[in-house]
Order: sequence, then structure tokens, then C-alpha cells
Amino acid sequence: MSIWEKLTELPREIVMTLVLLSIIVPALNPLGLPLMTGQMSQDWYDTVDALPADSVVLFDIGYGSGGYPSLGPGNIAAFHQMFNKDLKIVIMATALEGTLMYPLVMAGVNPESNYGAVYGEDYVFIGYVAGTQTAMAGVLGDLHDLVTNDYLGNPISGMSILDDVAGADDFDLVAYVTTSGDIAEGWVYQAYSQYNCDVIGGTLSMMTTSIKPYYDSGQLLGIMDGIKGAADLEFLTGHPGDAIVSSDILTFSQALVLIFIAVGNISFFMTRKGGGN
Amino acid sequence: MDYKRDIPLAITFLVGIIAIGDYYTGIEAVTQTFNVIKNWGIVLQGFALGLGAVNLLRVHGKRISERRGGTDWYFSAWLLLMLAVHIILGLVTGRYEQGETYSWLYNAIYLPLGSTMYSSLAFYMAYGAYKVLRARNFDAALLFITAVLVIIGNTPMFPAIYPGFFHMREWIFGPIVSGAYRGVRIGIGIGAVVLGIKTLIGMETGYLGRR
Repeated sequence: MSIWEKLTELPREIVMTLVLLSIIVPALNPLGLPLMTGQMSQDWYDTVDALPADSVVLFDIGYGSGGYPSLGPGNIAAFHQMFNKDLKIVIMATALEGTLMYPLVMAGVNPESNYGAVYGEDYVFIGYVAGTQTAMAGVLGDLHDLVTNDYLGNPISGMSILDDVAGADDFDLVAYVTTSGDIAEGWVYQAYSQYNCDVIGGTLSMMTTSIKPYYDSGQLLGIMDGIKGAADLEFLTGHPGDAIVSSDILTFSQALVLIFIAVGNISFFMTRKGGGN
Repeated sequence: MDYKRDIPLAITFLVGIIAIGDYYTGIEAVTQTFNVIKNWGIVLQGFALGLGAVNLLRVHGKRISERRGGTDWYFSAWLLLMLAVHIILGLVTGRYEQGETYSWLYNAIYLPLGSTMYSSLAFYMAYGAYKVLRARNFDAALLFITAVLVIIGNTPMFPAIYPGFFHMREWIFGPIVSGAYRGVRIGIGIGAVVLGIKTLIGMETGYLGRR
């Protein structure tokens, strides 16, 4: 067997071990490699930045443990920007595990100590609302009719943040972060198409192709494109975190994939040239 | 008259007409009625979660009692045990907020496991790219070139060195991907409208279940 034939059929174990190394090395020794802010992330940032103080944002945590490594850092960066701008955030979860993601994200933001935010005045968590698109339609239709208590069991009727919030017309922006295609497109249908709300969305990178047409047509004003988008947002908000470290990992691992693709093709053609199969 | 068929069809028609009325007329009474219906829907979906848990018990309980399929029933037993542990701990240690033990169970076990499931994709995708992305013929060469350009544009460092890589990726995502996807979405949209009309007028009854 020639060297080219061997390179055409590298064992899975070798490929995966090298991928593992390309993840572990930059994770242990972050290099701070340069990154270029994407336009979609910049638009997300600018959309939030353009909101005046005290604007009300409806924020959906639409992911669970599987999506946390990719979307959690971006969610934290997004909250940093919103709290820093003194926006009011009504947080909900259309994903079952969203209620378990909320404390993790809030532990990373720490709005009380970092921004002097007060629960019930500056932000509120209404918890999980079942039904995905029905839930979105319900919250945008008549929030007080649908939800009487927040996630902690406190009546929302006495909360100043929700005093003037009845439904879609009172939200200045709808934002979501999700691993679900139904949630990602659902907010466009329910918030933009039905009520003409401004909407921004964050998804896994592999989902970006499916929601980008909505961004191109202006139905989504910004997209946080997976961990790369999260890194952009961390950079833009000035809160470097896990995503910026992950972008080093992304650079290493994707560069390795490119090397593998090159090796696979060169060896394939050399083998064919030599008369192999 | 077939009540089992006609009553659900009548309810569907009525709800559909109210939904359409809410979207097109904006009459307050219609909107309020539709809000009530939406809230009913959300409550029903909540019950569906409980129904799912009962179904889980039924399916895996049966698998355990029959002990068929080698050692698979061990996994069913473990699933039901964990279901019980989480329900009991959730109810005992916290009413609204998660108790410390519950949070520990989730953060120390489920969260890393869930993250690992997604993360393991990286290894298979890398190996898949190495094996599959080979320019064996013209079609494969097109896929190969597109994939390489997207990977280069998606790798944080390369566009930072040369922004052209990023614009190349954006161009692929724009006219090519978005254009194709828009066509797909329009097709799906037209199909959804037709399905909606057929459901409203009772021509489509698949949602009533197997009959």
C-alpha cells in the first residue's frame, strides 16, 4: 500500500484524536487569535443599541443543555448589553429546559450587582410557556391574560415592569436564542408577520442558513450566528467570555478539517493517477 | 351523523375562522376570543407534557416487565428511576426555584451529558468532511468548493486576516443559499395555505388520528 493510499483511508481514530487535540490545546492555552465581527452580529448589536433606555424587550430562552455551550455565552453577552442600556427585559422560555438555563445565564450576568437592576422592575422571568408558536401568540396577544404569576410564583400584576405591558404593541423588541427551527421561524411568523414587531434571533450556526432569508428580507433585524456570533457579541459588548475562547478552538478545529479535506483530495488524486481505485 | 368526526371538524372550522378573523379584521371582540382560544391551547399543551410522562411510564414499564431485547430493559429501568428521582427531588426541594440538590443533579450530570451529545458531532463532522468532500466528479467538485469556501469564511481567524473570505461566504449564503431556501419556503408556504384551507373545510382529517 502506497503512502497516498494510506492517506486516502486514514483510520477514524487518528482523525478524531487530532480533532480532540485541536480542541484541547487552544482550550487550555487560549491564544486570542484575531476575529472579524460579522454583519449579522453587528446588526443584532446595533438594533439593541438603538433602543432608548426603558424600552421593553421580550426575550425567549429557547434552548437547553445541548445548546448551552453554543448559545449560553451569546445569551449572557446579549443580557449584558441590554442591562447596560437600562432596557426592561421580560424573559420567557419556549423550551422546557429554558427554565434551567435561566439561572445559569443570570449567574453569568449578575444584573443586580453589575447593573443595579431590580427583579420585577428591570427584568422578570415568566417561566416556561408550553406550545411553542401558540405560546408566542399567547404572550404577544394578552400577556396578563395568559400569565398571572412569574416563574417564582409572584403575581405579575404588582410588578412595575409589566404595568404597561399588555401584548405585542408594548414590546419594543422581540429577541430569542434557540436550537429549534420551529422557535426560530415561529417568532418571525408570530411577532413580525402578525404584529410587525422588531425581531432579532440567535441560533446554532448550522441553522443560520434556514433563517438567513428572513434576515435578508428585513424580517429579522440581526442574527447571532452560533458560537461565532456569540464571540462577536462578547467583543462588541466588551464582555469577553467563553465564546471568545471558543473562537480559538473553532479556528484550530476548522483549520484541521480543511487540512483533512486537502489531504483526502490530494491523496485521492495521487492514488487515481497511480492507477489505484 | 358521525359525531366523533363531525364535532372535531366543526370545532376546527370555528377556531380557524376566528383565527382568520383576528388576523384580517382586527375587531376587538374577535381578538379577545382568539386570545382565550390561544390560552386554552397553551393549557392543553401543558397537559400533553403530563400525558407524555404517563406514556413514557407505560412504554418503558412494559419493556421492563417483558425483559425482551437483551439488556435494553436496564436502560428503561434507569430512565424510569431517573424520572422518579427528578420528580421527587423537584417537588421536595423546591416549589418554584430549583433546590440545590436538583440544580446539582442537572448541572453536574444532565448539562454536561446534553452538551456532550451536541459536541460529539464535531468529531463525526470532521471525519465525514475528510471522507466525503472529495472532488470525484463535477457535482462533487461543486460541493467541495462551496464547502471549503464556507468553512474558510466561518473560521474566525481567516476573515480577520483577509475579509474577502467572509464576503465570499456571505455571497454563498446570500444569492445561492437564501435564494434556494426562499424557493423552498414559498413552496412550503403555499402547501401550508392549501393544507389550512383543506383542514378548515373538512377535506383534510389526518389530525383526527387513525380512523
